[in-house]
Amino acid sequence: MALVRGRERKSAAQIFTASMADIVFLLIVFFVLTYKVEVDRTKMDLPDTWVRIKVPEKAAVISIAPPDDLTAPLTVRVSTGEEMSLPVSTNEEVVTFASTEVARNPNKEFIVKADEQVPYEHVDAVLDALKQSKVKFIYLLSDQKTVDE
Amino acid sequence: MRIKKKEIQSEIFTGSMADISFLLIIYFMITSAFSATRGLDFALPEDTDTPEIKQEDSIDVHVVRGGAIEVDGKGLPLEGLLPYCLDKLKQNPEKPVILRTDPDATYGDMIRVFDTLRQANEEWTDANGEPLHMDVHGKPLTEIQTISIPTRREIENLWSMLGIG
Repeated sequence: MALVRGRERKSAAQIFTASMADIVFLLIVFFVLTYKVEVDRTKMDLPDTWVRIKVPEKAAVISIAPPDDLTAPLTVRVSTGEEMSLPVSTNEEVVTFASTEVARNPNKEFIVKADEQVPYEHVDAVLDALKQSKVKFIYLLSDQKTVDE
Repeated sequence: MRIKKKEIQSEIFTGSMADISFLLIIYFMITSAFSATRGLDFALPEDTDTPEIKQEDSIDVHVVRGGAIEVDGKGLPLEGLLPYCLDKLKQNPEKPVILRTDPDATYGDMIRVFDTLRQANEEWTDANGEPLHMDVHGKPLTEIQTISIPTRREIENLWSMLGIG
């Protein structure tokens, strides 16, 4: 005997979106809290190291990037750590910048951000400028080294 | 005649909230830079406590062009650097390591050697941080106490003081 079925009630498929607002606000709060302004956005290949210490926030930054064209000079930029970086053309300008920062805060930390392919003489000149300016703490920015490298 | 007052319910329009929220998320995702915030640190000695270092009292590591190293004047593979330093520091744990780099070598070459020297603490201690090596006086040897990175000007000054070059 065949059963006579009543008309089947179809429920429309729907995605539960009530918690979406919570998730979205949680993400916004996360991004607002972790958002940091990068004072120097020069793109470069940093050297890779196993040992990596967290660099202090608000430390002054000196970046040394190779030129796109091999005949052009290197690009050296400086930042106080609170303002966007500005280009400098001579080593004396680096000394003046570092001396000013050290005069304001004798324990000011400096980050050297240099491309791994930069000839060492240019990094040496910057380190020398920092030493002349009586800088006490220097951080050499690096990427994490992995086993494949 | 009694007129029925039509009540208007006050409410905040939230229809566009999702759009604004997603716009903010996208903005933060794009502008938040995945910047490098770690690196190798080193403290520079202050004028008052700069020790006088003689060349024979130190381990001289020289990074030459191409990334090879010479330790105390002899070529050495990078893997041999820490064992060499360990042997020397067992005799005198206060021996400083002087890291010199050729101007023609790259910054990456110098950092590779500096990173190797900084790994001494990890290599010379076990998983619990206990020392694996002792010096001749029976004291634990867990790290290289001083790694000095003199600049070319400082090296030239030192040489002129010593009457070399």
